[in-house]
Parts: sequence; C-alpha cells; structure tokens
Amino acid sequence: MKRVLRLSLALALPLLAGGCATVRPWDRDLLAEKEMSFNPCPMLHAIDEHVYFSKEASMGGQDASGGGCGCN
Amino acid sequence: MSGKVVSTGVLLLLSLAAPALRGAAADPPLAAPFDLPTSTGHVVLDSLRTKVVLVDFWASWCAPCRQSFPWMSTMAERYGPRGLVVVAINLDKQRWQAERFLRELAPPFLVAFDPAGKTATAFDVRAMPSSYLINRSGQLVFAHRGFDPKDTNAFESRIAEEVLK
Amino acid sequence: MQLETSSGGAAPTGSPALRDRLHKAAIALLLLPATARAESTPANQVDFTALYYGEQGRTQVYEPVVRVTRLFGDGQFLSAQLAVDVITGASPSGALPTGTVQTITSASGRLRTVPAGAIPTANFQDRRFALDGDWHRPWGKLFSTTIGVHASRERDYQSLGVNGKITADLLQHSITLTAGGGYSDDSVFPLGGTPIGLSDGTAVSDQKNPKRVSVLLFGVSRVLTRRWMMSLDATRTAERGYLTEPYKVISLMEPFSGVPIAQVTDKRPSTRTRNSALLSSVYHLANDIAYTSYRYYWDTWGIQSSTLDVRYRHRLASDDWYLEPHLRFYRQSAADFFTAGLSSALAPPDFATSDYRLGQLATMTLGTTFGFRLGASPALWTVRAEYIRQAGDSSPPGALGVQRTFDLSPPINTFTMVIGTSFKF
Repeated sequence: MKRVLRLSLALALPLLAGGCATVRPWDRDLLAEKEMSFNPCPMLHAIDEHVYFSKEASMGGQDASGGGCGCN
Repeated sequence: MSGKVVSTGVLLLLSLAAPALRGAAADPPLAAPFDLPTSTGHVVLDSLRTKVVLVDFWASWCAPCRQSFPWMSTMAERYGPRGLVVVAINLDKQRWQAERFLRELAPPFLVAFDPAGKTATAFDVRAMPSSYLINRSGQLVFAHRGFDPKDTNAFESRIAEEVLK
Repeated sequence: MQLETSSGGAAPTGSPALRDRLHKAAIALLLLPATARAESTPANQVDFTALYYGEQGRTQVYEPVVRVTRLFGDGQFLSAQLAVDVITGASPSGALPTGTVQTITSASGRLRTVPAGAIPTANFQDRRFALDGDWHRPWGKLFSTTIGVHASRERDYQSLGVNGKITADLLQHSITLTAGGGYSDDSVFPLGGTPIGLSDGTAVSDQKNPKRVSVLLFGVSRVLTRRWMMSLDATRTAERGYLTEPYKVISLMEPFSGVPIAQVTDKRPSTRTRNSALLSSVYHLANDIAYTSYRYYWDTWGIQSSTLDVRYRHRLASDDWYLEPHLRFYRQSAADFFTAGLSSALAPPDFATSDYRLGQLATMTLGTTFGFRLGASPALWTVRAEYIRQAGDSSPPGALGVQRTFDLSPPINTFTMVIGTSFKF
C-alpha cells in the first residue's frame, strides 16, 4: 500500500507542478490541433488494446468498458 | 391615512435617489488603450472616441472565431453607417496563417495584429474568441467570451442600444 | 495616422462583386429565423478498420470493424460499432514437452501427435461478434458525459455490459477531471462442458458459468505548457465468477525425471482485482508530436507489469499525411499460482495454471503507421504494420528434471497489419 502511494505521488508530480498557472487562451494554437490528444486514433488504439489484452495478463488503463472477451 | 403619506413619501425619495444609485453602481471603466498595426497602417483606440467600437480577439486556429466572422461582418455593415467600428485583433503567432484566413474570409472590417498578446493581456482575455463593446465615451460596457449563435441576438441588441445613444 | 473605417470606403476586399455577395448574404442572414441560424447541420462519419494478426506458427486473427457516428452540431454524438473476430490456429495448451514424440488428447477429445521437445499446442477456431453503442454529450462549456453499451458473443462466451464517464474542465480548460465506471455480466459455456479444475477433465458439467466485472476509473489531465500536456489515469477492475481457462491443461510430471505422465485441468481463483496507473504525455515539437506513456499494473493474482509506449508522429508536407514509428516495451511477472507443471508425487495446490500468458513475459513491439489522404477525397487513410516479439521464462518455477533442459517459452514472433479509413458525409 505504501509502495502504491509513493508510486502514485511520483507519477502525479508532473501534473501538480505549476500550481494554478494556466496557458493563456491565445497561446493555445498548438493545443488546438486535432493530433494534440491523448487518443488521436481511437479505432486503432482499441484494436491495439485488444491485441495486447489477448497476449498478456494486463488490462486496459484508459477505458471503463470491460472488453468482454474470453481471451484473458 | 398617515400610512399612505409615509409610503408615498418613501416612494418619492427612492425615485429621486434611484438615478444617483444607478449612477454610483454602474460606472464602467475605460477600455485599455491600444495602438496596433494593421495591414496598411495603425489603429489607435483613443482616436475612435465618439464611435462605438466592437473589439474582437481572434486567431486562425480557433474554430468559433471562423463562425463569428460572418456575424461581425453583418454588424459592421448594418451599424457602420451609424457609427460602429469593428476592430478584429489577431493573435496568431505566425502572420501567414492569419493572412491565409483573411484571404479566404475577406472581412469588410478592420483587422489589427497583436502577436505578442499585449493588448489581449490588457483586456484580460480568458477565452478565444473574446468580444468587447466600447461606448462613445471609451468605456467598456459589454464583454462576451467565446462565440455562440444563440447569444448573437442579445449581443446585437446591446450594440444597437449603444449606437443609438 | 491613417484610419480605415468599416463602413464602405477603402474596403480591403477589393472586388465590388464580392462585397455585393457579402451584402446579400448579410440580408439573407437577417431574414432567417434565429433558431435556424443557431444550429450547425449534423454530419455523419464512418470509420472502418481491418486487422490482420499472425503469430508465427500459431494463431491467426482477422478482425474487421465498422463504426457509424452521427455528429450533432453542438459536440454531441451517437455511434454504433460492429466488430467481427475470426480466430484460427493453435495455441500452447499448457502441457509440457517430452524428449519423445507425444500423443496428446485435446480438449475436444481428439488425439494429436506432438514432435519431441516442442511445446504442445491445441488447435482451435472461433468467431466473435461484438456490438457497441456510445452516446456522448457536452453539458455547457465545462462538462460532458459518455454512456456506452456492449454486447458480444462467441461460441463459448457471451458478454453484456454498460459503461459511463463524466468529464469536468477546470482552470480555464487547463485541467480535465474524468470519472467513470462500467459493469459487465458475462457468461462462459465451454465447448464440451465445464471441466472440474485440477481434475483429469473427464467429469464435465453442462452449465453456464457467470463472470461479473466492475470497473472504476479516475483521470486527471493537465495542459502544462503551450506544447505539452500530461494525464494520469487510474483504473480498478474487480472480477468475480468463472475466471478459469477451461481448455488449458497442466502437466503432471514424474518427480525426478520431469517426464509428463498425465494432465490436469487449469484452475484459477474465482475473484481477481486488477489495478492500473497510466501516465501519458503528449508533446508538440516544431512540427512533430511525441506521445509517450507508462503504465504500471498489478493484481491480486500476484502479477505485476510495466508498459512503456512511445510514438513519434512525423508530419509530412501535405496536410493529414504522416509517418508514425512506434516502440513498445512490456514486462510482466508470473501469477502466484503459475507453474510449469505439477509433480505427481505432491498433493495438488489450490490453484494452478501453465498458461504462458500468466507467466513471466517480455514483449517488444516495433512498428510504424502511415497516414494519408488521396487527392481531394474526403477519406482519411491509415496503414499500420507492427512486429511483436514475445518471450517468457525459459525455465519457470515448477520445471523438474528434463524440463529444465527445454526452453519452455521460446520467443514468438507476431506480425500485425491494420488498414483504416474514415470519412464524413
């Protein structure tokens, strides 16, 4: 449990750094591009996840949909 | 009998005081001055005193900005003859992207360039696009964040109100 | 000090014909009722992807997927998706190799011969149909919800599920919070009946075995700079019910020689809690974008894994054309009850499996994706080719005698190819 907490904090640190500073609205030109997304190709990503889910023991990370196949 | 006198008296007092109260609560601040380049020269806000000015902050990469241009053109054409000046301040970091956008949309109003965002900071722009209405005395009387076709009627009423003063 | 006014005068547009058109358009706008002007016209989108997956000498999968989405002007959308999985080939059964040619009885009761030293495999084929529906709706400028339903069916497995999530934007859209959940009601009905775990597999029961899965997820994403955004997503999945692989077997070995003499069926616990923490980063360089993510996973079966995934989108001269190389490294530790085989002299444990997917594994992927648009066509194309190399512990715990001389988890090479197209109409 302690290990989990330490790990979570280490991972969360980059997100917490910067406090309440925001990027100004007119500086969001690059962020407005459609490729600036955590999941720019959802269909391809879903296929990838399915491939690895069938070959490995681990599960997802980004979706709440169970997947629902008898392969793992 | 005395109750009626008292209540009438109170009402009279209130109606006398009302203009003063209204005046004290709503004295809009002066809009931040600016002097920005346009494609042919400069635009200075101070020189637009006695006109009603609609200032709009936009960029080529902002989808709602694209939607707002036809509406701003309509406002410019409809109220321009009666003293409205539209100044669309561009915030693109790369001028060629703004120019490509302008070639395509060809707006009939003034476009100024603020790539460093100094005027945007002075106006405390919080969203793209942001529009500000400045009355004939140079005061900032109305601000709107973003662009939504549903809000244009209310915005236009506000413009008409200022233009008719 | 020159001042251009917006009312007539020196218009920057030039041609009087254009100004006339603009004027007419303005009048037309005036005449339209406000509500008609307010709505953007809905659009439809079709996405089609097809996967070919080929494990060298083992499994082959073909999976076409088609998705239709109705996009409403305000950011709301409704979509339906159909996926078909056609799986054929062979997969390790969990049995151990011998130094001699072996005759194995497969789960369906047929006799097969296996060459000496080779990992015994079992043939299988299956076809799976999956139907998914999603409804996404923004609420004002800060919130959005997504609700999804899922139904899938294959010869021995059925799944029905619902899922949902809410997002909220804070700090002028710099931070996005996500909370979601899902519930799945699955049913496992193995071909030939359900064998009793850790038995010789002859006694079967003809029943539907339920499996219920609940998922909870939380995510935080943040725009850090003009070029960089990161997110942290945590999921917790609880599975309860029939979690065993009914066709997998475990070899019973002679205690000293390690020669397999019999088989028993796989048996896994009836509960499993899985956790994952995923840290992702998207960084915009001068023209290219780098996507990196690291996921740490752990579950109550004793498995821990780490995944590092890197993609580099190199944008080419034309819009929508890009080349995206991809590298993925994966490592997992074995489940507590994973064993190469069982000694015939010892009493069987509570749970055991020889399924290589629950053993120690290392996977490496190298691939590339090419995206393009043909001329003025509205369709966007993507072609992806990947090479996956997977290897396990060549001498896992439980290997006795002669088994220690065999490579019980030789590297498996897999080649995948995906073609995708997407267009609006």
